[in-house]
Amino acid sequence: MEQTRKDSRGIERRQGKYACTFHVNGEEVSIEASPMDRVVDLLRDRMHETGTKISCGIGRCGACSIWLDGRLTSSCLLLAYQVEGKEVTTIEGIGTEERCSIVQEAFMNEGGFQCGYCTPGMIMATESLLRHTPDPDDEQIREGLSGNICRCTGYSGIIRAVRAASVNLQ
Amino acid sequence: MKQPEYQRRPDAAPKVTGALKYLTDRFEENMLIGKVLRSEYPHARIKKIDTSAAEALPGIHAVLTHHDVPGLNRFGIVTPDQPVFCEDRVRYTGDAVAAVAAESAEAADQALAAVIVEYEPLPVLDSVEKALDPEAELLHEAGNILHEAYYTRGNLQEGFAGCTSIVEETYQLPRQMHGYMETEGGVVVPEKDGGISVYMATQHGFKDRFQLSRILDAPEEKIRIISSPIGGSFGGKDELNLQPYGALLALKAGLPVRVHNTREESVRAGLKRHPMAITMRTGADENGRVLAHETTIYADTGAYATLGPAILEFAVEHASGLYPIPNIATTGVSVFTNNGVAGEFRGFGGNQVTFALEGQMDRLAERLGMEGAELRAKNMRKPSDAGPLGQEIAPTDGGRMILEDVTAWQQLPLSNAGETPWVKNGRGGAVSMHGGGLGYGRLDPSGGRLALTKEGKLEAAFGFEECGQGIAAVIETVMKDTFSCHEEDIEITIGDTNKVPVSGSTTASRGTGMVWTAVENMKDSFRRQLLAEASRVTATAAADLYLGAGGVHKIGTEPSLFLSYKALAEYVQEGDIETHTAFDFPVTPDEIDSGHYLYSFGGVSAEVEVNLLTGTVRVLDLKQSVSAGPVMYPQGYRGQIEGGGIMALGYTLMEDAVMDEGRYQTENFDTYLMPGVKDLPDNVTVKPREEVMEGDIHGPRGVGEIGTIAVAPAIAEAIYQAIGARPHKLPVSREWVLQQIQQRGLLPWNKPEKIPGG
Ligand code: FES
Ligand code: FES
Repeated sequence: MEQTRKDSRGIERRQGKYACTFHVNGEEVSIEASPMDRVVDLLRDRMHETGTKISCGIGRCGACSIWLDGRLTSSCLLLAYQVEGKEVTTIEGIGTEERCSIVQEAFMNEGGFQCGYCTPGMIMATESLLRHTPDPDDEQIREGLSGNICRCTGYSGIIRAVRAASVNLQ
Repeated sequence: MKQPEYQRRPDAAPKVTGALKYLTDRFEENMLIGKVLRSEYPHARIKKIDTSAAEALPGIHAVLTHHDVPGLNRFGIVTPDQPVFCEDRVRYTGDAVAAVAAESAEAADQALAAVIVEYEPLPVLDSVEKALDPEAELLHEAGNILHEAYYTRGNLQEGFAGCTSIVEETYQLPRQMHGYMETEGGVVVPEKDGGISVYMATQHGFKDRFQLSRILDAPEEKIRIISSPIGGSFGGKDELNLQPYGALLALKAGLPVRVHNTREESVRAGLKRHPMAITMRTGADENGRVLAHETTIYADTGAYATLGPAILEFAVEHASGLYPIPNIATTGVSVFTNNGVAGEFRGFGGNQVTFALEGQMDRLAERLGMEGAELRAKNMRKPSDAGPLGQEIAPTDGGRMILEDVTAWQQLPLSNAGETPWVKNGRGGAVSMHGGGLGYGRLDPSGGRLALTKEGKLEAAFGFEECGQGIAAVIETVMKDTFSCHEEDIEITIGDTNKVPVSGSTTASRGTGMVWTAVENMKDSFRRQLLAEASRVTATAAADLYLGAGGVHKIGTEPSLFLSYKALAEYVQEGDIETHTAFDFPVTPDEIDSGHYLYSFGGVSAEVEVNLLTGTVRVLDLKQSVSAGPVMYPQGYRGQIEGGGIMALGYTLMEDAVMDEGRYQTENFDTYLMPGVKDLPDNVTVKPREEVMEGDIHGPRGVGEIGTIAVAPAIAEAIYQAIGARPHKLPVSREWVLQQIQQRGLLPWNKPEKIPGG
């Protein structure tokens, strides 16, 4: 069933739903969605995977960071049709409370978070950085985290965590 | 692997794994989505509201307007003057006119779009000047002045007559946004008994309960507020935000309702830091003794009161800061406008007035041919001096200690000694003093509860919220230090009005000190109860028993653990071992309204580099010395100061929620710029000065705010040291910097212009 309607901003939206199939943390999911649904909403509201956060909704803060086929991406800017058949990795795929990753351990030890709302995104960015650059210098750390805003920590604890994780990973 | 330097926070693993459910992550079966229609105009009369088309749409369960508020259609922590739903007039673009609950977000959006509101626009009072014009339309019945506050002592005229140097400046402070990463929201669930459970962030659950009871015309016992964990607040979630809409919609629809602001909605409706224009005239004699200090503060408080009066009074109190100047006259005026609502924000008026005061000290020092640190030292308060309002305060040497650090840091060499000709470096320092608690004359109760639970945990219950500051880690640390227990022995209960005792608000840097004091009050009785019960059930002399990890230990046995808390719990009924405390935040004995008794002190040294080609200011080094009593939880303390410092760096160099004709021009993080990791100075240092005066019984002071106060004036002075121009308006814009560079001919290809007025 396909129909169009105007949203609150007056933009025409196609409303048809289809079975959107992709992988989340290694598991195949198929979920009824409109191609224009934001992936962050599918994750949070439909699948109740709320580790991925929403803050700005416009790609400026990184709270919604996930990996799409291993690449760091803002899930608030990603639409359902773009993930069709692809592999999405969220914070839930990185570690669990019982088995944290080395990066997560480092964030806990070094004060890399306070309110914790930016933290899942920050960890997705850090994991991604360290996979590509295992021994980053300060400039590379700053570049790697430049898409993520943290309002609480002032970043010092986060940088300490990234450095510690990089040492511990080697 | 390297051992962690600190004990991990109790909320660590749930936060780093994303497993923690924030209140906006909550999901309930059959949950509806609620949305609020906000005003189209900053100032207008409402001619008509027609919701019939919205109600007729499919999937809509409730459409509400002012007709649907059973109780008081107003909110406001102190003065309820903000309409839940506007009846006939809107005063800012965040004013709510209607709300809907629908089966999907899309349906809710459609319903909002179908609500017809006819407005008749009114002239927009978008500045203090316009609002104070005698011809201006009155925004509230009592006029356009929310509040005035004064403080005088000595004789200003005589004071100035003795001065050889007098400086005067007007400082302009921007509208800073809290920028908590989690926007306001949560879920409200209607309960079987006709009551509701409100899962939404706040900094004072009992206050929300009180306000909601007034709005819903329902008894407070029927309202349960669950308010932790919170994805950041900084004062911004202290006042009600979406709670009334969630509650009214849930009650009307009879189903759980989730409301969650988008960032744009949060910017539009949410509180900001008060923009202020502060004029100061300050004079000293030839020895550098500051004799007279005159201050006038105009605060743009926006459309409604919230805590505007208290913030103004705080600014007036702190206008002379750490300097016991003999002749003072301070006037504060907080003015209603059609700009967004200004209210509580970390620092509470102290940030603005300290920028001005410390700016004055640097200007005066230069006039006197002195170092800024020397002038500050000459005028620094003594440990037994009265507080800034002449009130008795807890003796403290904090001011001298932090100034000592700042003075030493000023001697450090600059990191760019001329290698790059188009980059100029400079270093500046500033100090601050900040009152904790709500101040004299304001109800400021606190308390807590310790109990042995049925499961054998030592429960520590407080009415505080965890908004990231680490109150849970503080509670855990204090408990461990006091009862030598293990973190697994402790159960922390916070953020739920059905379970916690009254502790007062999680604001005003009061949480840490109140937890410490409460446990101090309760520890003997709680220990006695535990040991007596253990002695009874094991028929062992209490004198041979002591508390330790896991439970009650016995002297001289190996292993010493004698009776675990779990085992002990089996012998007793819930509530058998329980102790409570209730007390007030310490206040000055002098009857001086709003005067504080406990103060913390913060000293800052900043080095900046100014790029003469681009006008970019980069902070290279930010050092903070803090005197706030003993450190409870080192990682949390450090994090508060580091984080507060960077938030203040943003305030100084980039943040301003710009409004034009009563409308936000900065609607999201693409235009409202907050510091990113690239703005982080190369070096950030936090130096706690823990010493307190002999006999001091007040313990830790709390550090939620102090790290944000003196940063701006330190950076401003560093900029002056770099380029010879003194910022008086925040944020310091690149355009301003470039203009100053041009005027001063700092680049070889432009000659100095004549500097107007300077
Ligand atoms: S919510 Fe996606 S980048 Fe901010
Ligand atoms: S920890 Fe709160 S925003 Fe980063």
